[in-house]
Amino acid sequence: MSRTFAVVTDSTADLPDQWRDRYGIEVVPLKVLFGKETFRDGVDMNNDEFFRRLAASSSLPTTSAPSPGEFAEVYRRLAQDHDGCISIHIGAQLSATAEAARVGASSVEGFAVNVIDSQSVSMPVAFLCRIAAECESLDVATEAVRDRVPKTRVLALLDTLRYLEMGGRLSRAQAMIGTMLDLKPLLLVANAEIKPVDRVRTRSRAISRMVDYFKNDLPVEHVGVVHAQAPDEAEQIAVALRKDLPGREVTVGQIGCVLGTHTGPKALGLVYLKN
Amino acid sequence: MAVKVSGVDGQVFKRALLGSLTWLAGNHEEVNRLNVFPVPDGDTGTNMLLTLQSAVEDVKESNAAEVSKIAKLASHGSLMGARGNSGVILSQIFRGFARAVEGKSSLTPTELAAAFEEAANAAYRAVNKPTEGTILTVAREAGRAAATAASGPDATVPSVIAAAAAGARAAVLKTPSQLQILRDAGVVDAGGFGLQLILEGMLKTFEESDPSFAALADVKKPAAIPAAQVALDLPEGGWGYCTEFLIEGTNLDTELIRGQIESLGNSVLVVGEPELVKVHVHTDDPTSVINLAGGFGKLLKLNVGDMSTQHRRILESEGGAGDGVPRPNGVGLAAVVAGRGLVDIFRGLGVDAIIQGGQTMNPSTQDMLTAIESVPYEEVFLLPNNGNVVAAAKQVPGLTSKKVHVIETHSVPQGVSAVVAFRPERPANENLRAMKAEAERVQTIEVTHAVRDTRSNGVKVKKGDVIGLINDRLEFAGGDYSEVVKQALGKLGPDSYELVTVYRGEQASDDEMKKLESEIRSEYPGLEVEVQHGGQHHYPFILSVE
Repeated sequence: MSRTFAVVTDSTADLPDQWRDRYGIEVVPLKVLFGKETFRDGVDMNNDEFFRRLAASSSLPTTSAPSPGEFAEVYRRLAQDHDGCISIHIGAQLSATAEAARVGASSVEGFAVNVIDSQSVSMPVAFLCRIAAECESLDVATEAVRDRVPKTRVLALLDTLRYLEMGGRLSRAQAMIGTMLDLKPLLLVANAEIKPVDRVRTRSRAISRMVDYFKNDLPVEHVGVVHAQAPDEAEQIAVALRKDLPGREVTVGQIGCVLGTHTGPKALGLVYLKN
Repeated sequence: MAVKVSGVDGQVFKRALLGSLTWLAGNHEEVNRLNVFPVPDGDTGTNMLLTLQSAVEDVKESNAAEVSKIAKLASHGSLMGARGNSGVILSQIFRGFARAVEGKSSLTPTELAAAFEEAANAAYRAVNKPTEGTILTVAREAGRAAATAASGPDATVPSVIAAAAAGARAAVLKTPSQLQILRDAGVVDAGGFGLQLILEGMLKTFEESDPSFAALADVKKPAAIPAAQVALDLPEGGWGYCTEFLIEGTNLDTELIRGQIESLGNSVLVVGEPELVKVHVHTDDPTSVINLAGGFGKLLKLNVGDMSTQHRRILESEGGAGDGVPRPNGVGLAAVVAGRGLVDIFRGLGVDAIIQGGQTMNPSTQDMLTAIESVPYEEVFLLPNNGNVVAAAKQVPGLTSKKVHVIETHSVPQGVSAVVAFRPERPANENLRAMKAEAERVQTIEVTHAVRDTRSNGVKVKKGDVIGLINDRLEFAGGDYSEVVKQALGKLGPDSYELVTVYRGEQASDDEMKKLESEIRSEYPGLEVEVQHGGQHHYPFILSVE
């Protein structure tokens, strides 16, 4: 590999394994806590195990960011055979991860770490990592990624707002759904904000609204579909998108344990980088 | 009997850390209760405790005699285990302490005080934008108090730690005067209080002769000011509006813009470049902020959010949908509704004014007019939600200076579907189109009792029979609610639908409700069934099918 700098992200990027292997991207896990038991996202616990346990658990798990020290360890290790590193993370409005990375980086001397707050979550962060990995130098990669941060989009369809609400990330009022009816909110994560873009009563309507919203937002540089235990629906959406966007790679990915703690099962995301 | 200590060596410091951990472990719930933010988030006490636990984890196994070695282990451990903002700051305090004692085997009282001061300085440096009235202030005041004590002639290690703890305590008590949010919540700063406990725990290891730390946890808890989240009162004027936007222009001066915005609110953040500046401010007067900023250039991505709405959600579990947020499209909603549950549902969806009425108690045009005048918007959509009310509703637009549009909803399900489709940021005409389309998509089944013998639409009914109407047309008669509903669903063709919402009326008993629900589920397993308490008169069941 001719690239001399390292690319680091965290487990909420939902980075597909094949990209991780192909581009040599380092993934620092966040943690999910069931009571006193701590699991490293994607390391000690995979997605299927997580959702099985979530369904069986009477109380909701909590999540925590990697510590600054954990980041420092990774950077120190990478410093041995790289001359710098770009570290791209879940938006600071959603998690303390980027801040922990920044503090961790400051404790490693003599190794350039450019920490990027993606303002986003899930596969758009993986898109940014891929773009960085394809750049020839750390400076070029950093500029390319910074330019694209405002273009990250996550359209999220949650089966229930319960998990997001319990995690304190969004209230029902903010999602513009009352407390009585079971409404499906369609949420947009963009520019460091989560905002509601629609609310509907049934899942199939919500999916079609999600796809309509996306089509109004074309053109895009990268697009993917992520899901939490809803592979069939995700695949259907991807098939429809491939038909509409011939020749375009539409990646289907799974939502990881930590993000899944906040989305709950059956969440779907249409994720993209605007052009 | 106090423990005699001349200097702080590795084992003394280790013992002090264990004391901190024990004392914080016994009291961290008190710290958790000091959470002032009106949204649920991570608990400060737990985060600090876990961070300290991680610091002590590494220290516990060490027999090092040098204070520098123990401090370094604690610094490393706390950094590895840091959780939450307070935990990260605590880890920086340990880091600063470790740096200050580097190379030393034991600390004199003066050196200990200097290390406390350096620990606070390190914490300040680690934070992007230090805020007074937080753990940072408490760390600094503890350091200062320690330094003052150490400069006295009879200074000892315990007297320096006692001074640091007292300094922390005094600083914690002052935090509400430094931070409005603490003052309003009537609490002290949680992170600062956590640090106070850590210093007090250290002190206890010098004051108590019994090294059984477990006993320390049983000591009476310090008198924290109690502050459950629900006890928070909304301050006059609310929490203000979180106002954010970008200014696009040329030669934009962030300093100048910040200076002017600061006079209109707090939590001001103005960053960017000469061509594009991002502004974030919490203000009670977003209009003035927007007018002011508009003078600098073109505003983009304007977003005004009402922070008191989030907060109110905690006070009333039945918060509405986005109530309190001024709607960008300037459109209000009024609906004719009967039944307690249905009133709550329409309110929860964001309807501003409810006109009581429906099937047999049709509201007057005047009733509707009065309601519309009460809506704080000049443009209002009126939903009659009943075929018998539509005509009166259509009189209203001619009687008021407000711009009123009647969305001709003939049933509760149509009304709900229309309101669900309303989007506050979408222009009025687009909303009208979408709401009408949604109202037409939904199918309504109403179940009631015949009030007389008749024949209608080819169906013969006797007084008292259960009758089922689909979209206002009599379709079925029978002796049993479930049977009539199943027939009606069969006629609609359940394969074309996903969701049945049952609004239960006041006449329907629990048993009847359960029977209906289970029979729909077993007869049509492909349909999702949601039951809502509607509380409407006359109709034991109204069903929405979509």
